[in-house]
Amino acid sequence: MTQVLIVDDDEIFRTMLEEMVQREGYEVTAVGDGDAALHAVDQSPPDLIITDILMPEKDGMELMTELAQRGSQIPIIAISGGGRTINLDFLELAELMEVRATLSKPFTRESLRQAITEALSPRT
Amino acid sequence: MTDARSSAPPSIAHRYAELLERAVFAEDPLQIETALAEAADLGRILIAQEIALEEVGELHHEALLVLARAHPDLPLGLVAARMTAPLMETYMAYSLAFREQLERRAEAIVHARLEQSRKLEAIGTLAAGIAHDFNNILGSILGFSELMTEDLPADAPSQRYLDYIQQASFRARDLIARLLTFARAVADSPPVPIEVVAQIREILGLLKVSLPAVIRLDFEPDVSEAWVMAEPTQVQQIIMNLCINAADAVGQGQGRIRVGVECLPAHGDPSLSGDHMVRLSVADDGEGMSPDVQARVFDPFFTTKAPGKGSGLGLSVIHGLVGKLGGQIEIQSAPGAGSTFIVDLPWLPPEQAAAGAQTPSQSEEEP
Repeated sequence: MTQVLIVDDDEIFRTMLEEMVQREGYEVTAVGDGDAALHAVDQSPPDLIITDILMPEKDGMELMTELAQRGSQIPIIAISGGGRTINLDFLELAELMEVRATLSKPFTRESLRQAITEALSPRT
Repeated sequence: MTDARSSAPPSIAHRYAELLERAVFAEDPLQIETALAEAADLGRILIAQEIALEEVGELHHEALLVLARAHPDLPLGLVAARMTAPLMETYMAYSLAFREQLERRAEAIVHARLEQSRKLEAIGTLAAGIAHDFNNILGSILGFSELMTEDLPADAPSQRYLDYIQQASFRARDLIARLLTFARAVADSPPVPIEVVAQIREILGLLKVSLPAVIRLDFEPDVSEAWVMAEPTQVQQIIMNLCINAADAVGQGQGRIRVGVECLPAHGDPSLSGDHMVRLSVADDGEGMSPDVQARVFDPFFTTKAPGKGSGLGLSVIHGLVGKLGGQIEIQSAPGAGSTFIVDLPWLPPEQAAAGAQTPSQSEEEP
């Protein structure tokens, strides 16, 4: 079964996303920050990572940088409620880091489905 | 007692005349000392009551006339000998208090301007922070209501309510997007042509008064004018921050900060649009920086200052500002050899600047 790792520090949102992705038929692991995510990747590499950007401790940007440094090929969907500063869009930055898809919170179930399909499709 | 020429309050004129008289007729050193101390107090009071220097001269003149009328037989030599000390004391206290007041005023202006740009930045950060948190909350509301839609029978009456929850969530999302657009508009005033030589001269005039007197601050522009496109406060922020950092690098001792403006051909530099660039430089003869520090100096939260002395944000903000203006910033430095910060900005041809010109004095008002 396709394994999805969810990384988000907002517990309620994480619970929601976990349920939603499970209902799409994936096996889900959910963690609260970048360090826990790296640990989970070491334990059992997922087929897809859906990560929030702004998190305490190791954030989504750092997580993506570290995975890229390790030569990880795991596709990533970046999700965010927006930047902490007004002129910096984290999702734009994430796109520069070659994530497979981005989603702005709040998003619909349909756009999540599309993003997952896009991220899991072979790179053209 | 007072002449109509002075607008200083009669009580002050009276006090001054009486003080002189007591100094002149003092019979022992203690009385002279007391008069001197009172003269110093009087100098400070004159400043606090905003009495101009020429009026102090008039007060003195009147007091002398009063003294001469009251004691026509008083030998001039005695008057001169007894009066000089309290007179000097008054003037010295007066000019010290005046200098202090001037410094405080200049500091207040510098502070208010920095504060203004920080405030705008803070509005943006606050709006962005609220938007971020609200979007997360809405994400949960929307997501769970979509999950419930699936769980409930399609004909359940609650389906309609869930639909409303989702509609309301989308409305809230759009509202947040509008709030962010608004905050961006408030935080960014539109760029206008700015003449940097005059603007920097004005800023340095303010800074000079608030920097320690042992630091020499020299403005050495190579050109009489140079135009760039910028928001009115941006060049100001760049120069102020670089100068304040330079003053910190100079430290406690004597030092010199040189600020320059040049217009240079931009050939060979593809990152700068146009054929010329405006080069601003701030050079200090302070402690300098190791290559290691130079490499990190623009990183957010990096600081070499003592805890509580600097946020470590100044140079990273400057770096961002310069980038926003389409320019570049670089450092020339070595330990013990001082540091020079060089800011290259795209040059605006004067004929284009004339179209929407703004001088520093106008920049205080509406752009």
